[in-house]
Amino acid sequence: MPNLIYILFRRLRSPLVLLILVYAISIIGFVLIPGVDDQGKPWQMSFFHAFYFVSFMGTTIGFGEIPYAFTDAQRYWTLITMYASVISWLYGIGVLLSVFQDPAFRQQMKTNSFNRRINNIRESFYIICGYGDTGSQLAHSLSDEGILSVIIDPDEQRINDLEVDDFRMPPVSLCADGSQSEILEMAGIKHPWCKGIITLANDDTANLTVAIVAQLLNKELRLIARAETPEAESNILSFGANEVINPFETFASRFALALKSPSLYSIYEWTTGKSGQTMKEPPKPNPGMWIISGFGRFGRSLYDHLEQDDVPLRVIVSDRKQKGIPSGSVIGAPTEATTLKKAGIEDAAGIIAGTDNDANNLSILMTSNELNPELFRVARQNADKNSHLFQSANLDMLMQRGSVISNTIFALIRTPMLGDFLRIVSRFKNDKANELVSRIIGAVQDDVPKLWELCVNKEDTPALFKVIKDQRVLVDDILRVEEWLNTSRSNEHIAALPLFLKRGKGNVLLPENNRIIREGDRFLMCGTHDAHESMLRVTKNINLLESVLLGERVASGWLWRKFTDKKRKVKCVDSDGYEETLIEKEIKK
Amino acid sequence: MNSEKVIFAFFIVLALTLNFGFFIGGMDNVEHHNIYELYAALVISLISTVLKVGDRTHLGAVFLATSLVADLQLIAAAIVWGMTEHVVGEALGGHSLATVVSLSGGALLANIISVVLLVSETIAVRR
Repeated sequence: MPNLIYILFRRLRSPLVLLILVYAISIIGFVLIPGVDDQGKPWQMSFFHAFYFVSFMGTTIGFGEIPYAFTDAQRYWTLITMYASVISWLYGIGVLLSVFQDPAFRQQMKTNSFNRRINNIRESFYIICGYGDTGSQLAHSLSDEGILSVIIDPDEQRINDLEVDDFRMPPVSLCADGSQSEILEMAGIKHPWCKGIITLANDDTANLTVAIVAQLLNKELRLIARAETPEAESNILSFGANEVINPFETFASRFALALKSPSLYSIYEWTTGKSGQTMKEPPKPNPGMWIISGFGRFGRSLYDHLEQDDVPLRVIVSDRKQKGIPSGSVIGAPTEATTLKKAGIEDAAGIIAGTDNDANNLSILMTSNELNPELFRVARQNADKNSHLFQSANLDMLMQRGSVISNTIFALIRTPMLGDFLRIVSRFKNDKANELVSRIIGAVQDDVPKLWELCVNKEDTPALFKVIKDQRVLVDDILRVEEWLNTSRSNEHIAALPLFLKRGKGNVLLPENNRIIREGDRFLMCGTHDAHESMLRVTKNINLLESVLLGERVASGWLWRKFTDKKRKVKCVDSDGYEETLIEKEIKK
Repeated sequence: MNSEKVIFAFFIVLALTLNFGFFIGGMDNVEHHNIYELYAALVISLISTVLKVGDRTHLGAVFLATSLVADLQLIAAAIVWGMTEHVVGEALGGHSLATVVSLSGGALLANIISVVLLVSETIAVRR
């Protein structure tokens, strides 16, 4: 803030001096010039009257000749000073306005207000560097979830777009280069409420710089980065990034998964896809040869992944001189039917249109659909604005670079344990993955599944935290809440399934229902929206939790509790005995 | 020689000398205190304040503070003078004169500090 005042006054120095001088000379003139009063006697204006007159004359208010009508000499002086004072006022106001129009001054004003807003943040927030297609999607998802984001982008046009966009939770934004340490510091990288930084620049070096700076400034911070090449990915990971997302790699490995293990594919798709979608049946392409058209970064990573799984492949390349083209590739324009026929489109199982031009990709798929309607069609969509085109093309699978990154990052932010969970799950064999999928579907039935984390600590789950100090609580107990919330329902458990448990450094996949909850446990839960709500209620409301544990309603008031205390003691012995046997079971396992 | 420094020093010293000129004289004698001198002192003090604003150094901040004090004291003196003559309707003298003069005396002190700062800054530069 002081910066602004200094800049303002330095620029206003000469108009202010001019104004003071003009006023001083005008006043002294009126005091010195002799006048006459209403009876014609000589009268001299005092400083008081002169200042009064000059003040209303200079500001063009003009009350008239006060206190007595002027002599001609006074009028001459008025004539001069009138113009002088108006001009000096106009000059001063002109300079003032030009200072406010000054780009440097405006930038400083924006920076100051940004600083103020960052300092006033009293809730968890994430810093997002880069507001392109990906950043915009991520910011919208975060704001819909009620998470504040701070956005930095060097492109002024993008920041203007952001300010016009509709957000439920408007992000704080600044037009600046995020790879500069002072900008990141200003954006709150050391802020106690800052939960993490996400860097989404198109340029790998920019992402790498942000990662290095973030790591140097705040080691504890969660760092999620985007990378376009495997080299950049490993490089950023070496700088302590928690997650690095390479959109091409991510999609290619998913696609390979869809061919190899459809169940795993649906777990990935559903956990990191858009929230609020039901678990879909995995796509089932026919076995056979796949055609990849376009051999850029996307085509290359797809080729590498599919080749590892021994999927028969044929690549169409338009440029003969390109390096590292696999043998047996077809050279020619993939949009033409002859090239596609040469690649054997009639017998192929599917085609992947992976060039960096959306129009070409659509054209490839249209042509190949005419040649072979049975084909499984996969497209790469480059620009966000072409969404509706690709949607209406009715494709079997679509790779949107922006959504792949933003959805994955959003899922990782909302449920940080997801990264570890997926890493463990990815090693699953097919039948184990099938079982996991059927258990999830069994738990939520036809409802839309939702993922959330349950952390046993004082802030998030105060009731549970308090209760587990005095008695043993099992996972099963917090799942039993439904009957207490809604007695009319017949099912005993809420529609939720603990997927994953983190206790200290240990990881437990699909923790059993009779496991004892300990302080500091972190569960990754999946279930319906209602189940999430009831779990929130039971872990925060001590009365409800005790009712669930005891199997009867507990009085909430102090007086009533005293009355019912005797009854409870008897019950407690019973339930303790029950739990003891369960613990023994667990130990035996 | 820097013309900006000349103008700056000129106004600061002029503010002090004019202020001193008005202040000197008997506390109870109107003849010793010229209203034009007070007016000039006030105008010059205001100008020197504007010249000092915008300097980000620590010394600049102290300059500004002393100048603001001088302005405040001189404006108060002018208001007392104007009130006595025009609102109360008495000729200046006795208590009101003493007030005006002592207020300008306060301003004088602030102006002296300003000049001392100016001189010490000049000496520190050693040129």
